[in-house]
Amino acid sequence: MNKKAIGFLLLAVFLLAFSPAMAQDEGGGGGGTLIGAFDVGPGGAPQIIPFMDTAGRTWLSKIWSPLISWNEDMSALTPQLATEWSANEDSTVWTFNLREGVLWHDGEAFTADDVVFSLELALNPEAATSFPAFSQLDPADVVSITAIDDFTVEVTLAEPNPRLPFFMIFAWVLPEHALNDINPADYQNLDWFFTNPIGTGPFMHDEFVADQFWALVPNPNYWNGAPRLDRLINRYFEDETSAVLALESGEINFTFTSGDIALRLQDEGNYQTFSGPSGVTNYFIFNLRNSAFQDERVRQAFLYAIDRQAIAETVLQGTAQVVPCISPFPAMWPDSSELNDYAYNPELAQQLLEEAGYDTSGNFEISTYYNNQFHNDALAAQQAFLSQIGVDVTPLAQDVPTYNSYFYTGEGWDISYRGVGVNVGNFPFAFYEPGGQPTVDGEPLQGELFPELQEMIDAARVEADSDVYLSLLQDICQFQNEHALEGYMWTATRFGTGSNNLTDFYWFPAAGGGPYEDHAELWAVSED
Amino acid sequence: MLKYLLRRILVTIPVLITITIIIFGLTEIAPGDVADFFISPEMEMSAEQMDAVRARFGLDQPAPVRYINWLGNVVQGDFGFRFTDGRPVRDVIFRRFGATILLIGTALTIGIVIGIPLGVFTGLRQYSFWDFSLTGISFLGISTPAFVTGILALMVFSITLGWFPSGGMRPVDRDPTLGTTIHHLILPSLVLSLNYIASFMRYMRFSMLEVIRSDYITTAHSKGISRTRVTWRHTVPNAILPVITVVGLSIPNLVVGAVFTETIFSWPGMGTLYLDAVLGRDVPLLMGINLMIALFVLVANILTDVAYAVVDPRIRYD
Repeated sequence: MNKKAIGFLLLAVFLLAFSPAMAQDEGGGGGGTLIGAFDVGPGGAPQIIPFMDTAGRTWLSKIWSPLISWNEDMSALTPQLATEWSANEDSTVWTFNLREGVLWHDGEAFTADDVVFSLELALNPEAATSFPAFSQLDPADVVSITAIDDFTVEVTLAEPNPRLPFFMIFAWVLPEHALNDINPADYQNLDWFFTNPIGTGPFMHDEFVADQFWALVPNPNYWNGAPRLDRLINRYFEDETSAVLALESGEINFTFTSGDIALRLQDEGNYQTFSGPSGVTNYFIFNLRNSAFQDERVRQAFLYAIDRQAIAETVLQGTAQVVPCISPFPAMWPDSSELNDYAYNPELAQQLLEEAGYDTSGNFEISTYYNNQFHNDALAAQQAFLSQIGVDVTPLAQDVPTYNSYFYTGEGWDISYRGVGVNVGNFPFAFYEPGGQPTVDGEPLQGELFPELQEMIDAARVEADSDVYLSLLQDICQFQNEHALEGYMWTATRFGTGSNNLTDFYWFPAAGGGPYEDHAELWAVSED
Repeated sequence: MLKYLLRRILVTIPVLITITIIIFGLTEIAPGDVADFFISPEMEMSAEQMDAVRARFGLDQPAPVRYINWLGNVVQGDFGFRFTDGRPVRDVIFRRFGATILLIGTALTIGIVIGIPLGVFTGLRQYSFWDFSLTGISFLGISTPAFVTGILALMVFSITLGWFPSGGMRPVDRDPTLGTTIHHLILPSLVLSLNYIASFMRYMRFSMLEVIRSDYITTAHSKGISRTRVTWRHTVPNAILPVITVVGLSIPNLVVGAVFTETIFSWPGMGTLYLDAVLGRDVPLLMGINLMIALFVLVANILTDVAYAVVDPRIRYD
């Protein structure tokens, strides 16, 4: 073989090796292949399985369906495998009517037995799933889960639970016929979820490569219509930067993006921006076990001293909205005339500190688990504002386990800057109740019980009338605002960025990834 | 030599056990555990629910019992399950280990193949244009962190020029081939090798300069032996000895991984796995990885000693 021939051979090998990817699947609805970084960002959790999901529900809902999910913007619940639900008068017996004609990916019919099997598995202490924590359902409080007929399930509770449907969004339905032989203790270690999983979702398992990607193909029998995409791929990234670089190089079609990145890409004009409220309120929680914060004038001074509006508009580039209480959604707030806006007033802040006899010689650490630019900038600004009234604070970023190991005991911290996901169906009552959190002294997280607040919480917990319930949440908001129970800051807007060739694609920054209605069956990628 | 090797291997066993005890002790001292990791700070969880999570992972048992159980299982080849996703630790480590060997092995090879000859080259031309230029570049290579070179490389070669993929080990829309693997490997391995090239070049240059000034080299020259022969028969073999130590010390990187490079290039290697294990307080995974690292360090030390004996006939271990 002469040198020329060898040269051609090498060139041919090179071209074959590095030639662009060819479209692989000819099936599906001709909607192309969508590659997304669906598990990047706070709503993501790569390689998670149903009932072990602390997040990652946007992706899980492509394969498995829950009984109920949020609607597109998380303003209400919407039917999934359950079409209707109702309760008896005291909300101890809930009846779920199920969708008829739904098929599992292997062609078997979905029935009420699958729901009973799934819920019993999720609540089985041996399986030790995260479902009881997220659904706030103590297995001991569930008296029975019964299939009344093929498409009706009845859940009987020992205690009234008017908000049960809001927690049924975490109730993934698994196929009894495929999993009925498993030992619940082995649930978390099942290979089945990654090798031949079966669901009722819009897409079916095709290929899973650990640590790299999960590829799905359309489910032609999906109850809401066969998806248009030929293939849907979730590519895993270690961090947002790598995912953004992949988006910019055209290798993926979508990723979560931080506010500054999303705004930059939006300005470039080559991308679609998806945004929405995070549903997470960022706030200071003061540890009232420290006498320095027991006087509400001190807490109010912190709010007056920090120009929250300015931080939201400038430092956070308008990607956050100031909140009056722990609730991030205006529907949960009373009329603005009943709220103190704590407009920036450093003179008043200083005066309140003096009246309260606050000792400005000390320094307090503000512990946080946040470690991204958004919150770093916010904390630096808060620190600067507080220093102007003589309050010396130092931000202390910790990793999540370290932070939690101190925070939830109620010891080892004075002020914490954190976030809490709040919505109408999931209000963190337990933060304010004795025994509601694993504090060492058994007191509420803050270390002090507010009887008036406790009364409102007790009433809200069992209130079945949604209007009265909402009114109670507004009363709680007013109480928190008036007494500056905590230092309420803002709720952030979160972003996702997609390529311009996505059509009918929808993404919402739901806490934990939802699940929410995104009509994935309509998604498509144009060839441009 | 054989006796020496057997002795070294036997000594390795108690050293390994001691290392696992120390690592286990450190995981116990570290604040937080996997239950703390599992609490989403944006949600709520009661004390009972946290206890249930701890019981799920056997953390309700005393530490010595957990350690002995772990050791007993490891002896039988069972490394347990990863806390955070329930996958078998052994499978996870071997999968990631393969990816890391490929990445760091390639980078290390490039570092040796380019760095050492460059060290010889500059060592023979002290204070020349090439010496100054390459030394300057090597300082840049040593002092520039991988996350800077990695992102720069991606912006130029992936986003702007489109020559290489932005990350991952394989294409997600077709089956991998040798060609696609090489295509994905080139950029991260080159980025990672920059530091190795610079580092090996510097060591080799320094070592060359030392040897060149030795009496036996002067003697060789005075005997009229050609410059090439003196360089390759006398200078390089002697100068390379300390560099072997440096290369040997780099071998554990094959299992430790390269966190920044793996993160930037989404390369599923040991570095990011280790980081995940630490952040998740994933004790079985942490113990498994550390056991593997310890084993590698000990084996690398033995191999370095053997390499010394092979290269330098004066060294005998019996």
